[in-house]
Amino acid sequence: MVQAEASSDQTIRFRDVSVVYPNGVRGLDHVDLEIPPGQFVVVVGLSGAGKSTLVRAINGLVPVTHGSLTVGDRELVGARRRELRRLRSDIGMVFQSFNLVTRTSVLNNVLTGRLHDTPLWRSLLGWYRAEDKELAFQALERVGIVEKAYMRASQLSGGQQQRVAIARVLAQEPQVVLADEPVASLDPPTANLVMRDLQRINQELGITTVVNLHFLDLARRYGARIIGMRAGNVVFDGTADEADDKVFEDIYGRSLTAEDVLPESVKVEPLGRAGSA
Amino acid sequence: MTATTESPPVPATDARPPRPRPNWLLWTGIAVAVLITLWAGRAIEFTLEPLIYDIDRGRPVLRGFLDPDWDFLQRVIDPFLETFAIAIIASLVGCSIALVMALLASRVSAPNHATYWITKQTLSVIRSLPDVAYGMLFVAAVGTGALAGILALIFFNLGIAAKLTSETVDAIDPGPVEAADAVGAGVIERARVAIVPQVLPNYISYCLYVFELNIRASVIIGLVGGGGIGSVISVELARFNYDNLSAVIFALFVVVFVLDWFSRTMRRRLV
Amino acid sequence: MTLTQSPAGESEQQARPEPPSKWPKTFSMLAMLGLVLLAIWVADAPWMRVFEIPEKAQQYGGLMADGVLRNPTVEPYDSYWSRSFELMVESLQIAWIGTAIGALFSFPIAFFAASNIAPAPVTFVARQFLNIIRAIPEIILAIAVMLPIFGLGPLAGALAIGVHSIGTLGKLTSEAIEGVAPGPGEAVRATGGSQLETIRWAVIPQVLPETVAFWLYRFEVNIRASAILGVLGAGGIGSLLSQLFRHREWERIGIALVVIIVVTIIVDQMSASVRRRIIHGGGTHSATAEAIVE
Repeated sequence: MVQAEASSDQTIRFRDVSVVYPNGVRGLDHVDLEIPPGQFVVVVGLSGAGKSTLVRAINGLVPVTHGSLTVGDRELVGARRRELRRLRSDIGMVFQSFNLVTRTSVLNNVLTGRLHDTPLWRSLLGWYRAEDKELAFQALERVGIVEKAYMRASQLSGGQQQRVAIARVLAQEPQVVLADEPVASLDPPTANLVMRDLQRINQELGITTVVNLHFLDLARRYGARIIGMRAGNVVFDGTADEADDKVFEDIYGRSLTAEDVLPESVKVEPLGRAGSA
Repeated sequence: MTATTESPPVPATDARPPRPRPNWLLWTGIAVAVLITLWAGRAIEFTLEPLIYDIDRGRPVLRGFLDPDWDFLQRVIDPFLETFAIAIIASLVGCSIALVMALLASRVSAPNHATYWITKQTLSVIRSLPDVAYGMLFVAAVGTGALAGILALIFFNLGIAAKLTSETVDAIDPGPVEAADAVGAGVIERARVAIVPQVLPNYISYCLYVFELNIRASVIIGLVGGGGIGSVISVELARFNYDNLSAVIFALFVVVFVLDWFSRTMRRRLV
Repeated sequence: MTLTQSPAGESEQQARPEPPSKWPKTFSMLAMLGLVLLAIWVADAPWMRVFEIPEKAQQYGGLMADGVLRNPTVEPYDSYWSRSFELMVESLQIAWIGTAIGALFSFPIAFFAASNIAPAPVTFVARQFLNIIRAIPEIILAIAVMLPIFGLGPLAGALAIGVHSIGTLGKLTSEAIEGVAPGPGEAVRATGGSQLETIRWAVIPQVLPETVAFWLYRFEVNIRASAILGVLGAGGIGSLLSQLFRHREWERIGIALVVIIVVTIIVDQMSASVRRRIIHGGGTHSATAEAIVE
């Protein structure tokens, strides 16, 4: 599998996109946005502000009710099932609750990233191709837990499980990586490690990364571009330097509290910290 | 209650909530239940008189039962093996189909609403017929013997296993399913990779449970012509050979008991 | 992909682990296959007859459909339908009485079998008693005891089902009683209440919704059991079915089956919604109870 040049036009374009949920709640309200390939974007905002909706709209987990949302030249709105699946195979997603199949091995979990390229009979029997297994192993090596390949996913710690999830994404060889609150369930040192992993993937492989965070210090530290959401609207769009506390207070519509930053937040990279990730 | 300091009685204020009305629904329900019981009892002519007057009728039967003819057991081994064979095949086929139907009958895994609804209704109908009915139907279709028993039990197993499994599927963790969607998996791949691994232990325990039910059901299946130990029971019953019958029934007890214990141990280890 | 060093700073080359042995899995697969092949050989069934089924299905199915679709207000179909309904109702009555007997007797016995209520020797005896009557399939009970004494007819069926239900309901209820939160019982005892009062005020309110749900579920199961016993002559729709099949009256068979299906589905739905109401409306939520409610 040749990794397609990440710089081919996989721009994500939101054009007047609105998402209205069946119960009437407006997830996104006439959003216009353009994310060029290779950018590391962090989306912040209060719960319910639309940041999760924004991220999940990009791979169609949340359907767009109005407007146009394209990834490269593929339109998401009104896409047929098949096109949607093909698009999703190019987009990797990391979830807050890891979403691993806990009863099965780490390797099997990572291999699901290769499903889009695996014929049905192979996936039914669980007989993945040697090349796919090789890719899976490489992905696990990249996140540093290959020795756990045959262990049951449930036996791993939270941080380790999230790294398996990242390996799953890597195995997909995606053009875009989405992360929906990837570190909310992790302790601070592990959270930093996971964010650093995402950052390295973005910088070394040039994969567009859109991350949804509610820890503001992490947002500032890792995000090249920060998008602030409030009530379904984009209220801030700029660099990390431009995003100071005042800006965040505007986005949140209230003054900042201790819950908005990672507990025991360190100013420098955690060296020698007992991070058990 | 004598306190050292006298406290004035608390006046009844409007803050006290009004006494709730009696739960009419509950009392009507209970009344209805009692009425139904009385009506049903009358209809089936409920009486315990025969216990007093006709207990003698039961004596020859009981006497035969209390004096089992153990030699008869030798002739019973083959029918028992047949019952096991029937149960194994019927459980295998029935439960395999049941897994697929269970996936279709659960909102989580069904490809679309129409399939879900149709499968659910079909399962409902399949489950509403008792195993006897299937037994009689298949005996009419393919003649008496093991084949009818197998086919009848397949349907019986299907209904039960599919219902239990689909309820388990309804209760799974949706996270991995979402992850499978996000990876671009199709409906079948999604089921195979994210849903089945979660329900597998429960599913296997249901299969064991169904196998056990098949052994118990073999009596009635055999009685209507489906082969196995039930047909032996049917024959001995018709000939009033209560001593043989009791030997067979005793053996059946032992088998069911052992199987029950085995099945429960296995099921505990699975889930 | 050219990601450099892993984040944990492990600079040594990571060794890929050995895949776990395939043997246990392969062995058990082969054993199962062997078992199935053995079963097929033992059963010695005329497999080819399966291919006759589509034809027979069309033939008999057609006759059954005929019976069902003919105008039900005209004789003799009118009487066919009413006869089927009558007997289905009789099956319901048998199941109801059987469940009532089971409920009535199992409730007190369950307390004797609950280890948090009764002393050990008592629970032992009670539990063995329940186990024994649980182990006796209703059919056997009917054949051996009820039919000889009470003769043919619905009463024998109801009693057979009733006795067996005492066993199953007794076990389920005693497990529910044992699963009760100890807090309320302690509270009653702390106020000086006796064992009986503890039961009345602390245990029963907790256990009642679940228990009634068990009764309703048992009722659904017993409807099917009563049809089965009917084949032996214990009344209800089963006896009609066995008679019809013997005479190959396919039109009436179709009608009887439709009646069974429709009535069973309706009763199941009603029972399920009542159970749902009871469990979620009030009282404790327990895992067993939730398992019984859809």
